[in-house]
Amino acid sequence: MVTDLSDNPAAPMATAIHIRDLCFAYHTKPALHDVTLDIPTRQITAFIGPSGCGKSTLLRCFNRINDRIPGAHLTAGSIHIHGIEINRPDIDLQELRRRVGMVFQKYNPFKKSIYENVVFSPRLGGIRKRAALDELAETALRSAALWDEVKDRLHTSALALSGGQQQRLCIARAIANQPDILLMDEPCAALDPTATLKIEELLHQLKKHYTIVIVTHNMAQATRCADLTAFMYLGKLIESGPTLQIFTTPNNPQTLAYISGSFG
Amino acid sequence: MPHIFRDYDNAIRHLQEYLLTMAAVTRQNLEQAMQALLRSDIDLANTVIAADTDVDELERKVDQTGMEILVRFHPVATDLRLVIASMKISTNLERISDHAVGIAKRARKIHRSQPLQEVQWIEPLYTHAYALLRDAMDSYTNHDSALGQSLHAKDKELDRLHKQLTRTLSEQLEKPDGGSASWLHLIFIARSLERIGDLSVNIGEEVVFLESSRDIRHEHRKPTPPTQPPSP
Repeated sequence: MVTDLSDNPAAPMATAIHIRDLCFAYHTKPALHDVTLDIPTRQITAFIGPSGCGKSTLLRCFNRINDRIPGAHLTAGSIHIHGIEINRPDIDLQELRRRVGMVFQKYNPFKKSIYENVVFSPRLGGIRKRAALDELAETALRSAALWDEVKDRLHTSALALSGGQQQRLCIARAIANQPDILLMDEPCAALDPTATLKIEELLHQLKKHYTIVIVTHNMAQATRCADLTAFMYLGKLIESGPTLQIFTTPNNPQTLAYISGSFG
Repeated sequence: MPHIFRDYDNAIRHLQEYLLTMAAVTRQNLEQAMQALLRSDIDLANTVIAADTDVDELERKVDQTGMEILVRFHPVATDLRLVIASMKISTNLERISDHAVGIAKRARKIHRSQPLQEVQWIEPLYTHAYALLRDAMDSYTNHDSALGQSLHAKDKELDRLHKQLTRTLSEQLEKPDGGSASWLHLIFIARSLERIGDLSVNIGEEVVFLESSRDIRHEHRKPTPPTQPPSP
């Protein structure tokens, strides 16, 4: 029997993602070591750390998108989302990825119209009625703060939008699946400062309804957006806590060295 | 720990150098203002008054460098506290230097009107105020949070001395034959030294914030809860 995560709907609760002693490897090369962390519901949690520290690997564990990488495997530990261990073999991966949406660094809309991008996944999920799809598209585009900009050209190519608009379309596409959790891997890395601020403002709106986990190299972005910040280094979670505390009085000298751009 | 970006280290070093130079000039101004008073040295008083522009210029440099660090390097944690504390300390130093100038100007006036032997009465107050300023800047230089925190208790002794001296000077002023404006100048000089103590305490509080991220300002002014009457 395949476990459907929707059997356990996301009621407002303290912890959305419960990570315990997580170890992960690519073939024989360890990438994550004993990561233990609780990611709170309807808050923005930012992962920071130097390249190769494992933050994107950890993010991809939350919707098991790592499963697609040959040789990538969990070696120990557990991840519970809304109380369910997502690494169980009977987990419905399609449902998991619907509930745990993902937005990538490089915006990647389909070569379709704006409207078709948003309704693509719900339609695959079985929603066929035009009125329902229309409503879903409008809601998702409004949530992604894109509706006013595209409502008169929904059936034109998504690729004609600006970079910032394309990324917000990708967020709308994830929202259309009615997820509980949104994972964002460097969502603003390819955007100009204005588009970046629009996405950041959007995150503040979205966290009222979704748990957001973001990976960023931009520490100013983490300080502006995140309620909690977790610092990773060499596959280990070094320190996590309220963002203001991490950026004003970090407890760990490695965190201090990283956030202040020092070496020692 | 050095920063990866060397310009960042340079800017931090400049900020600290400007502040320490400012502290050195301020201390010198205070020393010379008191010497001008005690020795009736008009030239020295004029030197102090002229040197205040150096302190003003250094205050501007501290602020400019601090702002540049905030804009260019987005400091966090220790670096952020260093910038904030240094900018606030420089404001306190500038005020201390203003008080030194005030003392020098009054020393000049006393000398020109009616020199008093009793200017020596000011010396214990000055010694105490100067020690507070010295300790405040030592706490900054030596990253000594405990020394910074200890200044408030030491300032209480200065307050006590100030009250005592003000009472004595007021009595002199009120005497039928003691209507000299010089007594009034001495009262204002005593007031300046008492304020220098307060400003040094402020610097100590900034050092505590800088070194241990604790905000101890106004803590000593918090009302103490009323004590319960003993139960019968």
